Formats: sequence, C-alpha cells, structure tokens
Amino acid sequence: MTAILEARDLVVSRGGRVVLRDASLALKAGEAVALVGPNAAGKSTFVRALAGLLQPTSGLVLLEDRPIPAWPRDALARTLSLVTPEEGGAVALTVRDRVALGRYPYRGPFLPFIAADADAVERSMRQTGILELAGRRIGTLSAGERQLAALARGLAQEPRVLLLDEPGAHLDVGHQLQLFRVLDAVRECGVAVLAVVHDLQRAAAWCDRMILLAEGRVRAEGPPRDVLASSACAEGFGVEVRGHTVPSLPHLLYSFEDKRP
Amino acid sequence: MTEARRRRNVLLVLTLAFPVALSLALAHGSVPLPIGSVLSSIGSTFGLPSFAPPLEPSAQAIFWTVRLPRVLLAGLVGGGLAVVGAVLQSVFRNPMADSGLLGVGSGAAFGAVLAVRLGWSARVFLALPVAAFFGAMAAIVLVYLLAHAAGRPSLQGLLLTGIAVSALASAGTSVLLVATEEFRVKTVLFWLAGGLEGRSWSHVQIGAVFILPGVALLLAFARPLDVLALGEDEAGSLGLPVHATRLAVFALAALVAGAATSIAGSVPFVGLIAPHALRPRVGPLARHLLPAAFLAGGLLVVLADLGARTLSQSLDLPLGSLTAFVGAPYFLLALHANEGRE
Repeated sequence: MTAILEARDLVVSRGGRVVLRDASLALKAGEAVALVGPNAAGKSTFVRALAGLLQPTSGLVLLEDRPIPAWPRDALARTLSLVTPEEGGAVALTVRDRVALGRYPYRGPFLPFIAADADAVERSMRQTGILELAGRRIGTLSAGERQLAALARGLAQEPRVLLLDEPGAHLDVGHQLQLFRVLDAVRECGVAVLAVVHDLQRAAAWCDRMILLAEGRVRAEGPPRDVLASSACAEGFGVEVRGHTVPSLPHLLYSFEDKRP
Repeated sequence: MTEARRRRNVLLVLTLAFPVALSLALAHGSVPLPIGSVLSSIGSTFGLPSFAPPLEPSAQAIFWTVRLPRVLLAGLVGGGLAVVGAVLQSVFRNPMADSGLLGVGSGAAFGAVLAVRLGWSARVFLALPVAAFFGAMAAIVLVYLLAHAAGRPSLQGLLLTGIAVSALASAGTSVLLVATEEFRVKTVLFWLAGGLEGRSWSHVQIGAVFILPGVALLLAFARPLDVLALGEDEAGSLGLPVHATRLAVFALAALVAGAATSIAGSVPFVGLIAPHALRPRVGPLARHLLPAAFLAGGLLVVLADLGARTLSQSLDLPLGSLTAFVGAPYFLLALHANEGRE
C-alpha cells in the first residue's frame, strides 16, 4: 500500500538555525506512528512542517501524492488535521462551539452549518467521551478534558491523516489511556495517526512504528522495541534503556538509567 | 440550553434599552424637550401621523441641529469602539487589547494637534477630524510596516511595535503642543479630553460612512474571527489564511476606531468594558459578541454623554474623563473579582 503522507528530505531552518535535516517519513492509512526524541530534537517542527504550517527550506511533503503547497487550504484541512497542546485562549467558548470550529474547512467563512456538521461534531464529542461536557465552557474543564476537546475538534475535521503534538502532556494516567484508546479507534477507521509522544513507555505500548528524532535527524525507525533498544536511542536521550518481559503484559516494560557521569 | 437563554435575554435587554436610552438622551439637556413631541417629530419625518403637540420652533432647531446628531454620534462612536475592542481582544487573545494598541489614539491625537498647530482647524471646516483620521491611519500603517520589516511578525511583535509607535506619536504631540500658541491649545485639549460638543451632521456622515460599514464587515468576518481567536497554528491548520485575515481585520478595526476617535477624541474604556462585561454573558463567538458589544458600547456612550451634558451645567466634565471615571473602577473591580476566582 502506498503512503498517504510522505516527507522527502525535509530541511527546516528557523532563525538561521537548521532545526530539521533531511527528515523523511512515510505514513500509511490506518497506521499508528509515534515520533519520539529528546527535547529540542525538532519533533514539533517536523509535525508542523508535515501539516504545511512551516515552509521547508528544501524537501517536499506529499499528501496523497500531491505536494502540500499545491493543496487548496480548505481541502488540505479536510484531509489532514493537527492537534497541538491547548494554549487556553478560548476559555469562554463552550465545548460544542470549540469542536464545531473544526467544521470551518467544510463551510468556510460564510456558509451556515448544516446537519452533516452537527453530526460530525456530535460524533467526535462522543468518540472522545466528552459529550456530557458539550455545554461547559473550556475554561471550566480540567487539562485532560481540554486536550480531549482539542482532539474532538481535530476529529470533527474528519481527516484521513491526524497529526498530534504531545497529546498526552499534562494528562493523568486515566486520561492518557482514554486518549490513546480514542486514537486506536480512529486508526481502526483507516486514519493515519502520527503523534509526538514524550512518554516512551506509553509510545511503545501504543504505536505500530516508532521514529526517533535527535538533533533534527531521523536516527532510528521501526518497531518500538527495536528503536528503543538501538544505540541511537541510548545516545539521543543519554540514557540506558532496558526492556523487561513481564509475563502478564503483552509488551515490554522499560527501565531507564542515566548514562551520563 | 441555559447558555442560549442567557444570551437571548442579554440581547433582548440591550435591544430594548438602546432606544430608551436614545429617547432619554434626546429629551434631556440644557434645554429639556418633551419626549412625546420629540418622538412625534422624528415620526413625522418618516410620514407617521403626529401624536403629540409639535415642538416650538426654537426647540425644533435645537433638536434637529444640535441634539439629534450628537446623540446619534454618541451611539455610533460607542458602538464602533466596543466592536473594535471585542475584535482586537479576540485576535490578540488578550482581554486588555483595544484600539490604542494599534496606535490609533496617539496617531489621531498627533494629527489633530498638527491641524491645530498649523491653523488648519480654524480655517478649514472639519480639518481637525480629517487630520486626526489621517493621523490614526498613518500610525497604523507605520505599525504594520515596521512590524513587517523583519518578516511576518508574531502577535507579540505587533503589540510591541504598536506601543513603540504610540510612544513616538505621543512625543510628537507633546512637541507640537508646546510649540502651539496658547489660544489654540484649548481647542486641542478639548478634543484630547474626548467629547461631542458642537458636533454636526457632517460628523455624523463621517461616522456613518466609516463606522457602520466597518462594523458590518467585521460582523461578516464573524466565523474567521472565531477561528483566528484559537491561535495561529490552529487557525492555520483549519485552512484559514491567518496573515491575510488578520490584516483585513486590522484594517477594518483601524477604519472604525480611526473614525470614532477623530470624531470624538479619546473616549477610553468603552472598548474594554463593553466586551469584557458581555463575554461571560453572551459567549465569545463573534456573531453573538459583536452585535451585543455594539449595542452596549453605544448605550454606554449615549448615557455618558448625557451625563456629561447634564453635569456640565455645574462643572465641566469632558465625556472622555467621564467614561474613564466610570470605566476604571469598573475595570478594577472586575479584575479583582477575576483574580479572586482563580
């Protein structure tokens, strides 16, 4: 099967500094990929460049074999959605209104929302488990609920590719599990999901494939247990990673030890 | 459900209060006019049968040449400033934003003082508001150009550039003011203090030409405004052309605020209070907030101007000072209530 989203040799500079060097990836429909790496590795930059929000200095991002800049804005936003950590600007919006803004690519500035929009909004709130919060204002929600509302907005776009920048940050373990369960359900519907994940244990348990980014380069890629066992991972994070088999668990349990003196 | 009902109630109250405040402001003043006759006089120009004794000729003259344009201007200026405040607060994602941030106020002041210093305002009809308007526009263009000198600016960059340009314009105003002959300084001071004394139908025309279409276009941009308020990344990923939309919104806001300021001088706090008080009640969606802000801002300035007119029989209280005297304490109280909640 061919890739739905493909990056070829992306180079991105910000403020004269190269943040991303020759980064490539291919994402297939229904795939769950975790992007991991130490702080300042260029993960957020990579995700924003994939979403078309940053112009690469060189290289190319193809969505359904078409370069991102060749996509009309609204069609792009109907095919690919990006969920970034909640900045908390829209505190007075109700959850329903917040999620409904995800329908902007479908109706644009002037057309009124129709039943299909209301359905999509309802569906994505149900899928993320925040339907009973629909009438609440964003400002009254917990950090976890806010993040779920942001995800619901991304799902209301009904994308074929879902990009997430640290969706699990600031979430307690219950909300984290809930969030990744939602992502699994989304992926099973054939959506390609790429998420920047800080928690390596969580990433390994969730993803089909892991991409390790360090100092702006893709250092390792493959099944999570291989990536985490690689020397690139130990070097990138500056830690020793050990995987332990636990009889009752389907995946490895990892421990990390500081390698630096 | 309760959210929608509360919103409807607030809009209903504002829509009812607006004409009441207008009538009140039309009837009261240094020469009280019987309200029935006033309304009947307005009605008869629209071909309605008169239902009250006609106004006396002198009262008729006061009403049509002085009071009606002044009250209409108060409504236009207040409504326009409140809408601009609401829009800029959502674009900057900062509840403290208002037209001052873009350099409108200080640019207009510079233009006005220049017109007075060069003696234009004494010779040419409407020279002062026109110069103030061009001053405001020049300040905004300067902010825009300077902010874009190093590529596309962040909101923070725009904000800081606005502050720098404002400071520059204020310094220029001071220099001109010091160099202005004493007998002309009073004209400027009156304008700077904010007020609607002696404004005519020509001012209403300026207001109507810039403020009403500007507000209508901003309202037409309601949904893009809501998307823009989510922040640059999210708005961009939803397919909104962020920079072009922001530029269009700023240009419209500048036109409206520039017109309002050039007509009335500085009328502070209206752009802050009206949206601030309404946002928790009608919600932040522009299609609800902007109409409510227009009504509330208009209401506020109509009443403030009424206060300035009635009080000025005993003491001279400029409109701008009045809105500040009412606005500043309100704002501080709201701030404290907010801090206490957090």
